[in-house]
This record gives sequence, structure tokens and C-alpha cells, in this order.
Amino acid sequence: MLGVFGLALAVPAAQAADPIKIGVIAETAAISGVGIPNAAKMAAEEINAKGGINGRMIEIVDYDDHNSAVDAVRAFQRAAQQDKVVAVIASYISEVVLALEPWAGRLKMPMITPGAASNDITKRVHDDYARMKYVFHGYLASTQIADIVCKSAKELLAHDLHMKTSVVMSEDAAWTIPLDEEYLKCLPAAGLKVLDHVRLSPDTTDFTPIFNKIEGEKPDVMITGISHVGVQPTVQWQQEQVPIPMFGVSSQATNSTFWKDTNGATEGVIFNMVSAPDVAVTPKTIPFATKYHQKYGNLPGYAAYTSYDDVYMWADAIRRAGSTDPDKIVAAMEKTDYVGTIGRITFLPKEDTFAHGMRIGPGYITGLMVQWQNGQPVTVWPEKVATGKMKFPSFIKLPQ
Amino acid sequence: MMQRYRTALIVLPVLVILALLPLGVGGYILGLLTLGYYYAVFSMSWDLLFGFAGEVNFGPSFLIGVGAYAAALLNHYWEWPIPLCLAVGAVAAVLAGVALAVPALRLTGPYFGLVTLVAVLLLQNVLVLFAGVTGGEIGLDLPDVLSIDANTNYYYALVFMVISGGILFGLSRSPVGLILQASGQDAIEASALGFNVAKHKLTAFCISAFFSGLSGAMLVFYLGTASVGTVVDIAVGVNVIIAAVLGGRRTIIGAAVGAVFLIGAGEILRPLGQLSTFVVAAVALVVILFFPGGFMGRLLHAEGRE
Amino acid sequence: MLALQILIDGFAISSLYALGATGFTLIFGVSGVLNLSHGAIMVVAAVIAWWVAEAFNTGPYLGAMAGVLASLACAFVTYRVIVRPIQDSRAIPREEKEIFVLTSTLLWGIMLQEAIAYLFTSNPKTVRPLIEGVVPILGVRTPLNEVLTAALSWAAIGLLYLLVNRTRTGKSLLAASMNPRGLTLLGFELSRIYVLVWAIYGVLAGIAGVLLGAFLGVSSDNAGLLTASAFSIVVLGGLGSVSGSLIAAYVVGYLETMTAYLVSPSIRTVPVLLLLVAVVYVRPQGLLGRR
Repeated sequence: MLGVFGLALAVPAAQAADPIKIGVIAETAAISGVGIPNAAKMAAEEINAKGGINGRMIEIVDYDDHNSAVDAVRAFQRAAQQDKVVAVIASYISEVVLALEPWAGRLKMPMITPGAASNDITKRVHDDYARMKYVFHGYLASTQIADIVCKSAKELLAHDLHMKTSVVMSEDAAWTIPLDEEYLKCLPAAGLKVLDHVRLSPDTTDFTPIFNKIEGEKPDVMITGISHVGVQPTVQWQQEQVPIPMFGVSSQATNSTFWKDTNGATEGVIFNMVSAPDVAVTPKTIPFATKYHQKYGNLPGYAAYTSYDDVYMWADAIRRAGSTDPDKIVAAMEKTDYVGTIGRITFLPKEDTFAHGMRIGPGYITGLMVQWQNGQPVTVWPEKVATGKMKFPSFIKLPQ
Repeated sequence: MMQRYRTALIVLPVLVILALLPLGVGGYILGLLTLGYYYAVFSMSWDLLFGFAGEVNFGPSFLIGVGAYAAALLNHYWEWPIPLCLAVGAVAAVLAGVALAVPALRLTGPYFGLVTLVAVLLLQNVLVLFAGVTGGEIGLDLPDVLSIDANTNYYYALVFMVISGGILFGLSRSPVGLILQASGQDAIEASALGFNVAKHKLTAFCISAFFSGLSGAMLVFYLGTASVGTVVDIAVGVNVIIAAVLGGRRTIIGAAVGAVFLIGAGEILRPLGQLSTFVVAAVALVVILFFPGGFMGRLLHAEGRE
Repeated sequence: MLALQILIDGFAISSLYALGATGFTLIFGVSGVLNLSHGAIMVVAAVIAWWVAEAFNTGPYLGAMAGVLASLACAFVTYRVIVRPIQDSRAIPREEKEIFVLTSTLLWGIMLQEAIAYLFTSNPKTVRPLIEGVVPILGVRTPLNEVLTAALSWAAIGLLYLLVNRTRTGKSLLAASMNPRGLTLLGFELSRIYVLVWAIYGVLAGIAGVLLGAFLGVSSDNAGLLTASAFSIVVLGGLGSVSGSLIAAYVVGYLETMTAYLVSPSIRTVPVLLLLVAVVYVRPQGLLGRR
């Protein structure tokens, strides 16, 4: 039965007006995850409304990977071999992306990740360009994120608030290894001595011991690297009134529901983001965030911005390549120079350590530091685009 | 004899159809079945231990994970050829199985279950703690895969499943299997009859470990990646157990049917998105409550034990 | 100072573990059932409490009550739809009932967990605490909510103790756990006792879930881990022994807290797992178990 069904699906012959399919693989039970297909569909509708790619419509085929590498590999194979997509936008989880990466090479399927941060994604492209060139990194690598956090910490914390010491607190995960390595190098350079480096198990539920230990060391600030955990440490930080601000990477804090999920405990938490709904990083940012909010009832999470840009970049690359041939798409994608919702995106050349990663720096992607204030995310850095000043809840003690 | 004939009558035509499938079916469905066949071996191995030795192993993914990671590490760091990695993976699973089973088999019921469950949690912790070597939760990528061609992969998995299934089924119907079954139901009586129950159970555990580990190793070379989520996580073990009970325990073949069903159902229900897991669990629950013999229970137990 | 901190922090989390494990062990003691949907039921209680309080603006108390009611309903369904039919079934051989109950409650737990993830996403939720603020205890700044968590856990356990030891129904419960057949000879209906024990279980698991949601926060992804942790505590204490479970909960809670303080938070659970293996090998009946 199944067999006949499969055969019937595979039969229709390709026609010129056939849609161009783009596969989207993500976990839809998580708010950050569901933003990926949602934003991709929005982008596709917009492109189609303007006539598609040379008259061909874009069709988003989405797959739920339940956050599992096995499901994602299956979905990827299905996308490539049966659904005949021409490019894939995949996951915000490093494990899943790294599992898919060799398959992108084997099946010659162009792929971009809108949210995974592992340094290995681009390192593999650099080390084995001939096979891995199909993979693009549409988000910042851990090291790049650490650099942005340090740069903002130098201005906001060391300069403005006269802070001198810090403790690094990260979850024990592969993406935080290069992040912490870079933190330990760049924080002292930014004027914040690192007193301790705490790594915690990603399935930690009780953070009391960790906060107490850190408080005992009397740092001016906690620099975070958390993604699997987020709601729980934030709520406990507020309930225990830990007098030290949290600053750094906190992926869950980028979700618009974070305020509600934490009952407002997140007041004062400062986190890194590539785009924020209130900041005109580019002219496209605010219209996208507004439209997304109208359509889905939530503000977009971090991977939604990038996923939206990714569809436009694939469409642009396919248009310029004039073909859906994977090698031609990759060659066109490498020449991308696109102003999206997160900044001006260009990809680093194959000689760079971050081959096929995004270029960061002034004029390209700069990143933002955003703080939760009274239920709203307020951008506090860089100064040029900031929409507010830092404010902390009353239990926080700042250095005099 | 009758029963064996009956079984062959059911199984052989199915196998012929399965062997001919690549002629008429798309690559994707083949890929799905490939995965299903590896899970089938996990479930059949589990069924040998539970159905015939009466031991509820909550940690099939401990054995699967050890085999998979042993093979993956050798291939990732020293680029050993695949067959050698597979062999070492299977042996490593047996060794780990013996280390676990020798003390654990003194325990019964929930205690044995808990120890096997804890073994999985410890393995998971070790893999994450030594993330520098094992890749942590992100896992290891493998330079070599069995094949990128869907048909070839399909035949590898099918042949592997048929051979493993044949051996496990044969064992379960052999005198050794009968002793195991007797000791599983009443260990005291079995030992009173002069059988060394512990030795037989240990043998069953080793065989179960061997096929679990080998299949785990095959699976990572099919997927091209080994990670906690794919071969160690408790969810993997849970699926293996559900498949075996769903298909009909004590039948070996039923376990395989259950595994393929679970994988297939998950995919057919893909349009439901997130709800698919819910529906699969609900269907499995209904089958277990209303047809406790599972899919194959009635078919294979002609003498009407159910 | 450090010792004091460990003492105070360990106490709250241990009390919560104790409450979570009590219901679990009670069910096993009385009806021989290991309910693997335990963690999922706790998650349901926490998420419903959060949802009712947020969506209908009812305030934390009504929310908490809704959570406990939801848990009670789940417990009742678990018994009536899953456990009871298996126990009554003639098609399932007696020596296999255990694996059937395990597999079915596991599946039921997965269904609950997936339903929660579908309706409320798998993002962690925190129930708004009944009281906010902090209080210094011997110089350690302790959230009032943490104090309340410990107090409510013990109040619930205390009420259970009174119920079991001071009332007739409670005593029949105790008797059922020791000798079910004798009890039927005395004219008690076992199925009534089972319904009662499942109701008590539902309330206990519900309170534990809501408190957990307020104290630490809960996500549908935690269901499996919560079941595993209750299972471990109960085995450590001796299956079916309530007092054993209480002691084991404190052993586990303090061992985890000490590891996090003194060694490293990244291996918090490892010493507990090793202890568990050691105890099961040396003394399989657990700390206070009967054989």
C-alpha cells in the first residue's frame, strides 16, 4: 500500500511553472523553533506576491524534527530524495545541524542554519571545502557571539557602571566550549577580571547552589552562556534576589513569551540578540517584527529573523544562478550581499576559519544587547540604535 | 513442527515482498524502512531477554549506545574500516553487557529494571562529561557511511535484520530458548530440574547485547552521526520496549513488526506535526489494552496461549 | 556559612522530592503498581496551575487548586482506564501484568507530555509563587517561597500520616499494603481501597507538581526525569516503604546539593546514580524495605 502511494507521489513530471521548493526542518514545539517555518512561510508569501523567482512560486515544505538528529536526517533525506527541494533551512540546535552537515555534502543539497552556534559548522566547511561547501552558517558562531558580548560589556559594564570583576556561568554543552574559551580571553581584555568559571549541567533544575557559590565570590556581574536552560535560572535568580546582574547569552530570553513564562522575573536581564523588534537595525527589521506579530500573535524569536532572511537569500541566489543546480546555487550564494532584518549579510570566503559564516563588524552584522524592562525588550547597545538605558531591579547591587 | 511451518508460511512471502520493494518504491520510504529494520533488531534483542528470560531491561539503549559509540569513536579518530568498527562495537556491547549483567542478574523485577535504567543515565553523563572526546550532546560525525544510495542501504539493513532475526528466532525455539522460558516463568522450578538458570540468563543477555550493539553500530554508519539523542537517550529505549510489546512479546518476529510499525506510523502521521507522537502513543496504548498479545501474538501462538 | 547554606537549600529541595515520591511509593505499597506516568502527571498539575492563573487572572490560589484537580483527574484516568483493566484482564498472564502496567503507564505519560507540549509548548513555565520576598535564616538569604515549599510539603506528608494512622479508612489502606487477601476476607472491597489510594496519590502528585512549578519551574520535557527521580528515591528507600522514601529523598536532595556546592554543578546527579547502583547491589530491598 505504502509503496504504491510513494510511487504515485514521485510521478508528476517537472514543468517550468512548478514551484521551487525550499525545505524547512525545525522543532515546532519550542517557541524559538516554530519561528523558523513561520518566518520562512512569511518570506515565501511575500516573494510569491511579487511574482516569485522568475515566475516560479516558492513553496515551503516544513518538517518537524522533534529536536532529534535522527528525525532531522530522515527529514533531510526525504526533502532531498522525494520532495525534491532545492535548498534547506535547518534547525537552531547544533547537534542537529552537525548531523545534517555531512548529508548536505553527500546529497549535494544547499543548506543554511538560522540559529545553531557551534564553531564546527564553519570549521568543517573550511577543512573540507570540496565536500562541505553546500553548508552556510546563517547565525553567529560561538566565538563571534562571545566577541560581541565582550565588546558591549566593555562599554556598558566596565565603562558606564565601573564594573571590574565577573564570573562566567555557562551550561555544559558543546556550543559553549568555544564561547567560554573566548569569554576567558576577551573579558579581561574588556576590563572585567574573571573570578571563576562555572559550568552547569543542562538538565539542572535547582540553581540555588550555583547562585550562592557565585555570590560568595563577589563578582560585579555574571556573564551567561545559556540556551537549554533559561526560564528556571532566571526565576530563581529573581526569587532569591541574587544581587548580581546577568549579562550575556540567554537564548530563551529572546522569546517574546519569556516575560510571561517567567512571571516577569526576567526584569533587568541583559542578553545578546541579532535583531530586536524595536530597533531599526535595517529598514526591514521593524516591518518584519510587526507583521510577524500580527500574523502569529508573538514577537519573533532570534531564529525567526534569520530564517526570514534565509528564504530571501536562497531566492536571490537561485535567481542569480538562473538555475536550481546545487553547485550553481552555492556559487551564487557565496556572492550574497544582502541587507536583511539582522544587518548586511555577506559570507566569509573558504580561506577564512569561519568559511561560509557571516561577516561581523561595523557595517555588517553588529549584534545587539537587549534588556527586559517592564515586560518589553529594550535595546541598550550599541549606543547608535539603543532605545533605552540600562535599568536594574532594586535587589541588584551595582558597584559604587 | 506445525508452528514452525506456520511461521515460515507467514514470514517468507513477506520477506520476498520486502526484498522486491526497491523496484517500486521511492528512496524516502526505503530510508524509513532502513531505520525501521535497525530498530527491529533492537526490539528483537530486547524480546529475547524479556520474553524468554523474563528480565525487564529498561536500558536497551545502554547496550545500543556502547556499541554505537565504540564503533563511532574508532572511525572518527583512527578511521578504522567500517567492518572492523562494527565488530569492535558488537564486542564492546557484549563486554559492557556482561559487566552490567553479572551483578544485576542477581536482582529481580523492578530492581533489575532500575539498574539497567541507571546504566543508561550514567552512560549519558559520561558521554557529556567527556564532551572533548565524545562530542558531548552534539555527537560525533563519521567520515565513512555505509552508502549514500538508498537501495544499497536498504539491502544492508534488510539482510542484517533477516540474519539477526533468524538467529534470535532460532535460539528462542531451540532447547536453550525453552530452558530460558521456563526459568523466566519459574526460576526455582527450573533450577530444581537441574538447569543452571543464571548461566542461561547471562547467555541470553550476551546475545541480546551482541545484536543490540551491532545494530547500534550499523545505525550510526547509516546516519553518519552518533549522538546521545540518536542511540543513548532513554526515549530510544522506550521506543524499543513499546515496539516489542506492541508487536507481541515472546514472538521475536512480532518485535520486528512493532518496530517497523512505530517508525512508519510516526511518518504517516507527519502532517499532524507535533501531535503525531501523541497519536502513536495512543494507538500503542489501545493495542496493548485491547489486544495484549500484540500484532503477532495470535498469529504465532497457534496453541492458544493467550 | 557554606555548611549552613547547604543545610537550608538542601532542605527545601529534599522536602519536595519527599512529597513527590510519597504518592509514588504509596501506590506501589498498596497495589503493587509502578506508575511511570508520574512525572507527566506532576507536569500537568504545574502547567495547568500556571495556565489558569495566567489566562483567567485568578490569582495563585485558584490556579494551584486547578492544578491539583487536574492531577487528581489524571490519576483517576490512569487507574480507571489503564491500570484496572490490566489487573482485571484474563488475556494477560499474571506474571506479565507488571510489564503491561509499566508499558501502558509509560505510554499514557508520553501522551500527557505531548498534549502539554502541543497545547502550551515545551517552554518551561513557572507558577507564580504564593508569597514573594526573602527572609534571612541564620544569615542565609532564603526566598519565602522556598520556606513555604518545605512547609507545605511537610504539611501534606503530615496529613497523610494522620490519615493512615488515625482513621479507619487509613488503617485499611495500611492493611491492604501488608496483606491484601486477608483484607478481602474481612469484608473490605479492595477496589474501593485502590480508588482511595489513587485519589490520595493524585492530590499528593498535584501538590508536588504545583510546588515544583513555583519553586523551580517545569517544562513538559522534564516528565521523564521526574519519573526517574521518583523511581530512584523510592527504590533507594525500599519499594513501598513511605518512611524509607522520606529518608531517601533527603539523602538524594542533600547529596545533589553538596555535589553542586563542593564539587561541580555539572555532575550534580552522578553521585546519586552511583549510590543507587551500590545500594541496589548490596541491599536490594533498599534502606528500609521489607523483603
